[in-house]
Amino acid sequence: MGESIREAIEWTGGLVRLLLIALGQGVRRPYGIYDIFYQIVAQGVRSLPLTFVMSLFIGMVLTYQFGEALMWFGAKNAVGSAASLALVREIVPVILALTVGAKIATGMTAELGSMKVSEQIDAIASLGADPVKKLVWPRIVAATVALPFLSVLGNIIAMASGGVIADMVFDVPFAYFYETYVTQLTPFDYISGLLKSLVFGVLVGLIGCYQGFETKFGTEAVGISTTKTVVAISIVILFTDFVMTMMFLPV
Amino acid sequence: MPETIIELRGVHKAFAEHVVYRDMNLQVYTGETLTVIGGSGQGKSVCLKLMTGLLRAEQGEVLFDGEDVGEMGQRQLVALRRRMSMVFQGGALFDSMNVLENVGYALKEHTKMSDAEILARALECLELVGLGSDPNLIYRMPASLSGGMRKRVAIARSIAIKPEVILYDEPTTGLDPMNCNVIAHMILKLQRELGVTSIVVTHEMPLAFEVSDRIAMLHDKHFPFQGTPDELHRMSEPAVKDFIEGRVEEGDEGHGA
Repeated sequence: MGESIREAIEWTGGLVRLLLIALGQGVRRPYGIYDIFYQIVAQGVRSLPLTFVMSLFIGMVLTYQFGEALMWFGAKNAVGSAASLALVREIVPVILALTVGAKIATGMTAELGSMKVSEQIDAIASLGADPVKKLVWPRIVAATVALPFLSVLGNIIAMASGGVIADMVFDVPFAYFYETYVTQLTPFDYISGLLKSLVFGVLVGLIGCYQGFETKFGTEAVGISTTKTVVAISIVILFTDFVMTMMFLPV
Repeated sequence: MPETIIELRGVHKAFAEHVVYRDMNLQVYTGETLTVIGGSGQGKSVCLKLMTGLLRAEQGEVLFDGEDVGEMGQRQLVALRRRMSMVFQGGALFDSMNVLENVGYALKEHTKMSDAEILARALECLELVGLGSDPNLIYRMPASLSGGMRKRVAIARSIAIKPEVILYDEPTTGLDPMNCNVIAHMILKLQRELGVTSIVVTHEMPLAFEVSDRIAMLHDKHFPFQGTPDELHRMSEPAVKDFIEGRVEEGDEGHGA
């Protein structure tokens, strides 16, 4: 028990240290704009199909559940208002971070881990470049940019698919669903959802890279690191979500 | 007395519980080829990584041209690596880049050379390592190269910046005997033509005897046996004799972790 607590603290410390180094290196010229754009395409654009499918089903399932529950109170017309708060503030950012974010992070861990075990990261350093600047910085920036964008897209898709369910299953017209959905939300609800995605984006990039750099020796180690990344992403995202929800929704 | 370019003094290095070096001393003279031999897993490569600042010693000094590598900041390390390059075990070519981008990598980082100049320099280096005949080679990806070619491209990448010192980490491991010979000749040729100081880490005795001016043998976490190939041959210490002749030392097998 004490051992795992010590490990968790060390791990968190390593994460923070890497973030600070990446920020310190990243803000200096050259900014690596090309690498950042390349990573945004590699991570963000290639995650569009998954984002689409996840959001589609989240919107439908959540609307279905809320519709069912509200029918008991004869309040099914409120389904738009109920779904909007849960989806925009919570479900879309978190589910996308857990699925798309985990996909992005494991991709990074596998790639950087393979580079680590084949000494390519040492090679970058010995050829006079900084591995954190070259590899970590563009990935963290790209993830931080990509995840909020995907989240915005996910919100639109989830709302639309929810509206279809409301209309077809619960006889709440799509237009009415949309009306209640949008009026229920304050600007702060959007902002808090986006802020969550932004922070999740940083964490996804950071954990993905850190696990890659921490990979030990041999190809087996790449598999171990990648698995750890999934676990770490799940725990850290949900923990951070809880903390941020408490900050945004003071009782 | 020849000039010393790299000197390790009283170096102590350990990974967690596993001690690699204890009070280790080693000198490298300018222009020579020094080979570090010793069993697998004893930490021969660590020695190279200490020299180029990829690892830091817990105690002792690693001096390059009189300056302590262990004390260097990022900027000084970049300057150091302008003068000293390393050929990694397995090549460590960048998978996502073609041969030209690999060979030109250090030039892009260190110099303000134009793309045309980098191309010219890359072709020159590939020529030096005997890969000048195929004009399309520079656009191939590392994954499509054979093991021997990958090693040679890695050497070309390391000499592109015109270093004063080249560190070779197991340059012939995993290659067939013919390719081993090619690499050995290349090390000799580069030293002759470029006048570089070479440090070769290997456990293959034919290579060590072929290319070395001096050999240092890693034994019991330091280098107790150092000398020219002839001197090493004449040494009567059983540890040296056993290693050179490939005999297994009792109780020494377990060090391979």
